[in-house]
Amino acid sequence: MLKYVLKRLIWMIPIVLGVAILVFIMMTFCPGKPEEIILGPSATETELAAKRLELGLDDPIVLRLGRYMSDVFIHFDLGKSWLTNVDITSSIKERLPRTLMLTVTTLFISVGIGIPLGVIAAIKQNKWQDSLCMVLALIGVAIPNFWLALLLVLQFSVKLNWLPALGIGTGLAGIKFYILPAISGSTGGLASCARQTRSAMLDVIRADYITTARSKGVPERDVILKHALKNSLIPIITVMGTMFGHFLGGAMIIETIFAIPGMGTYIIGAVNSRDYPIVQGGSIFLAITFSFCMLIVDLLYAMVDPRIKAQYASGRKKRKVKANA
Amino acid sequence: MPKMTGHAKNQGGFTAVMKQMSKNKAAMLGLLILSAEIILAILAPYIIPYDYSFMDMANMFAKPSASHLFGCDDMGRDIFSRVLFGARYSISIGIIAVAIGSVIGCTIGAIAGYFGGQVDNLIMRFLDIIQAIPGMLLMIVISAVLGPGYFNTIVALSIGSISGMARMLRAQMLKERENEYIEAAQSINCSKFRIITSHLLPNCISPMIVSATMGVAQTITMAAGLSFIGLGVQPPIPEWGAMLSAARQFIRQAPHLVYFPGLAIAVTVLALNLLGDGLRDALDPKLKN
Repeated sequence: MLKYVLKRLIWMIPIVLGVAILVFIMMTFCPGKPEEIILGPSATETELAAKRLELGLDDPIVLRLGRYMSDVFIHFDLGKSWLTNVDITSSIKERLPRTLMLTVTTLFISVGIGIPLGVIAAIKQNKWQDSLCMVLALIGVAIPNFWLALLLVLQFSVKLNWLPALGIGTGLAGIKFYILPAISGSTGGLASCARQTRSAMLDVIRADYITTARSKGVPERDVILKHALKNSLIPIITVMGTMFGHFLGGAMIIETIFAIPGMGTYIIGAVNSRDYPIVQGGSIFLAITFSFCMLIVDLLYAMVDPRIKAQYASGRKKRKVKANA
Repeated sequence: MPKMTGHAKNQGGFTAVMKQMSKNKAAMLGLLILSAEIILAILAPYIIPYDYSFMDMANMFAKPSASHLFGCDDMGRDIFSRVLFGARYSISIGIIAVAIGSVIGCTIGAIAGYFGGQVDNLIMRFLDIIQAIPGMLLMIVISAVLGPGYFNTIVALSIGSISGMARMLRAQMLKERENEYIEAAQSINCSKFRIITSHLLPNCISPMIVSATMGVAQTITMAAGLSFIGLGVQPPIPEWGAMLSAARQFIRQAPHLVYFPGLAIAVTVLALNLLGDGLRDALDPKLKN
């Protein structure tokens, strides 16, 4: 198991390097001259040239890429913002937790409501509860999250004045700032979670071991939760993995709407002001976060399914079996 | 025999699928909504009551009424006309982007899936890198490179949909490649191109069609999202996301500006999802439950 985790962690290195190179190259093709945006329209030709020299923009791209890669991966320094001269690593340290907070809350809402909805729909297959859950799921998929965000702001901030529409807070009071953003980001994931749970449960629920469990007098609650749901978790976890990526990306738009100073607002702001180091650094960090989550998803598989765990654990044994065969 | 079933399905093709689907009320509803929207979008210039960019300052922020069905926006433009005209942009972005993405993605996926080995390895590792970047972030970076605008948004979104399609077709190919009819085709010295295009692809295509349908829905939402944050289609073009983005600042004084463009996106995505579900059930009864 440990060996597997190590292998996955090592495999993340080329991926992250690849992301860094890819984003770096893409950003160099961006239209618009960064030095003009930094210095403003009143800058003279000499000032612009000096800035270009300072940022190293006149160097060939291979040299710049090499320099950037060595800064990032050897000195662990993402550089400074071209516009504000603030250290990017410390900005990310401040902002990433907010984005993660939003993403994880979104995930919890999706899973916490999506799975029960799916289970209810599966148990009551073809009854009105099933139809209701599936109609809700369809609506959840269809509603664009930024539109829902606007509607929620309209209802709960503008009309009822219950929850704040913008910004973040500190401490426990800060939680209420995440409620609307998390709800608006969660509908799509909630819906796909409900649908996936339903179909996975339906696959399992007619299996022989469920009949066995029922016939030996296991309470229906336990049959559903311990026998059926546990065995349908694999496809649900798979959906959760992809959902996390969606949420992480979706958080970028949600953050813009609710003015949450997280990674999304940081990167989108930097894209607009051609502050390349921020876009590059931010992308690297989000890619690392995403890769870690995919690793966690794979480890969750092993946790819920002993068969997969055995596969990870017995790399050596398996080879022996093969050799014997 | 796998070949027979595959062959029969293809021969029946379109009509068989439609027949199967016509029993599914939800799918037919989706198809109906979508066809209606596409027809309205095509006919939009002839049926919209006002020019979509006609400004009428007397009707600024007018509430929905008989003369302005969805009301008017901050410049007195008729929202109904704008939403209807916007369908041309939003729906066409979704369809064209997914079409381009599917063709390129399927080509890459087919090459990886059929040839395997080093080629497959190289392609898959590259896709791994692309997929390590969360989708929306990738879109944002690509749109930053290409700049905003209708065509650039299409290009950005099609690049974004390539990797998913390629992966999916590759997985299908790997499964299908093991079948005996492929061995048979190889043994009679069929060219690789022919094996891929006329033997493998037709047997792998059903899940691709379903995922493309769902992909159009997702792409429409993504395009609207990009426009919403100012990186996609730019105002005054009445793309739905761009309309929402402009409406956002007037949410307190004129909430009706926000309702209709969003509703248009939601209805379209809903229709596409209904259609996609129906197609999946019709194309692959195994997946149905």
